[in-house]
Amino acid sequence: MAVAESTRRRAIILLVLTSIILITLDLQNSSAVSGLRNIFGTIFRPVESTTRVVTRPISNAWHGVFDYNDVLDENDRLREKVAQQEGATIAAAASVRLAQELLALNGLPTLAGINAVTAQVIGDSPTNFSQTIEINQGTESGIRVGMPVLNAAGLIGKITKVYGDRSVVMLITDPDFALSVKVVNSPRQTTTTTIAKSNAAVPSPVVPVEPDASLETEASTTTTTTTTTTIAGFTPSVTTLPAVPSGVSSITVPLASDLAVRETGVIEGRGPSRQPTVRFISNAVRFGDIQVGVPIVTAGGSRSLSPPDILIGTVARVVERLGSAGPVLEIEPVADLTNLSFLRVLLYQPITEKVNP
Amino acid sequence: MIRFLTIMSSRWTRLVLVLLIVISLQTTLFTEMRPFGVAAQLVLLFVVVSGSINGSVIGALTGLIAGLMYDLILPTPVGLTSLALGLAGATAGLLIYFFHDPNWWMRLVAIGLVSLLGEVYYPLAQTIVGLDGWLQWRIVKVAIVVAVCNVILSPLAILVCRWTLAERKLQV
Repeated sequence: MAVAESTRRRAIILLVLTSIILITLDLQNSSAVSGLRNIFGTIFRPVESTTRVVTRPISNAWHGVFDYNDVLDENDRLREKVAQQEGATIAAAASVRLAQELLALNGLPTLAGINAVTAQVIGDSPTNFSQTIEINQGTESGIRVGMPVLNAAGLIGKITKVYGDRSVVMLITDPDFALSVKVVNSPRQTTTTTIAKSNAAVPSPVVPVEPDASLETEASTTTTTTTTTTIAGFTPSVTTLPAVPSGVSSITVPLASDLAVRETGVIEGRGPSRQPTVRFISNAVRFGDIQVGVPIVTAGGSRSLSPPDILIGTVARVVERLGSAGPVLEIEPVADLTNLSFLRVLLYQPITEKVNP
Repeated sequence: MIRFLTIMSSRWTRLVLVLLIVISLQTTLFTEMRPFGVAAQLVLLFVVVSGSINGSVIGALTGLIAGLMYDLILPTPVGLTSLALGLAGATAGLLIYFFHDPNWWMRLVAIGLVSLLGEVYYPLAQTIVGLDGWLQWRIVKVAIVVAVCNVILSPLAILVCRWTLAERKLQV
């Protein structure tokens, strides 16, 4: 009895030491630990698949009992939303195509040029202290660690572990998630007026006038009016009505404050019950006050794991800080992270991560 | 041959096989059934019950083995759950020593209490290795829901645990 007890104590010490060594190795991204995971995965997956099939009726019954009313409410809400968005979608698609054509014409990267793999969510995190999901595509589909994952609404996370036919996606709410982002502060909606002097010898002054200002200034001037047209949900477009004084060319320059100002920061997850935050935003005066509701998009760049301009969310709250420290922004993700089904993995790797053949 | 059969029929082999099923239940059924948005922790329950039935040494061993197996499918560093569950198993074994000849309800109280503690050990371990951000007030809700779920499921877990960890002589 005493021998058995001593053997067990030795086994405990051995297992504790093994655990500590494994933690150290895994935090150093050891390939031995990855190999161990793969071997265990090979043994475990068939057991898990069988259990999933056997327990499906029970989980279906559970969802039937506890989620039925929620699903009905959600269905009604979604129908209403679809009806609202149907009209805007066609115009939005045209705008997106136009923007992509413009970006392509100027040799700028667009999402349209990046291959993607569609994947289905096959499992949530089994623990309460990890914000990950599992998808049914892996290295066989070209997926690598770090690739961005999107749903129809926007960015939802990044690949953190890849196996042959499945991958683990870390959601943007996980405290370990961090990504460089841009905050696009909205321009104010104003009308600008450009006045060009008819005297060709004098350089044409460009004078911005506030909306309530009179359009008629002097008898000797020619007036060009620029109006900003605003359609709900779209970027304002500018229509210019040129004046035709002989021998005078006029240019239209919008107010500097009307241009969308961009500032970069880092988005960080804070767990499922708290919204992610964006930190390291500059407190520069030219950036102005950040409004609630302005979009947060990925920053891109040669070292970023994500291409630029993927929508992540909108600013839900601005927490001002004392001194020169910029504000901290709480972000409302556009994607519903609690209800993910089909996802798109962008097969994008930054130049710094690409392995040369 | 006899040695091989002895190993195969030992309670530790049985434990590994049962744990495979327990972990697969955790990653499938108990990941989907989330009362109040919290996943019940079946692996933790199994470890706590084994500690409360067989004492702190067996509880710690069960926790370390179960944790290592569970770690290999979690995205967190391997070894972390092992230490947390090992500690939970040992705590369950130690706690039950306070009750002389514990009856069924004392055992349930102990299981609930250690489940509550065990669910806190994990984010604590995460914080110790530098995975910050999980020590939030949400832990209180998570630990309470896990403890209640474990108390409800414990009668079944006690039966399975007793069968798994029972020492049997090999009849050749």
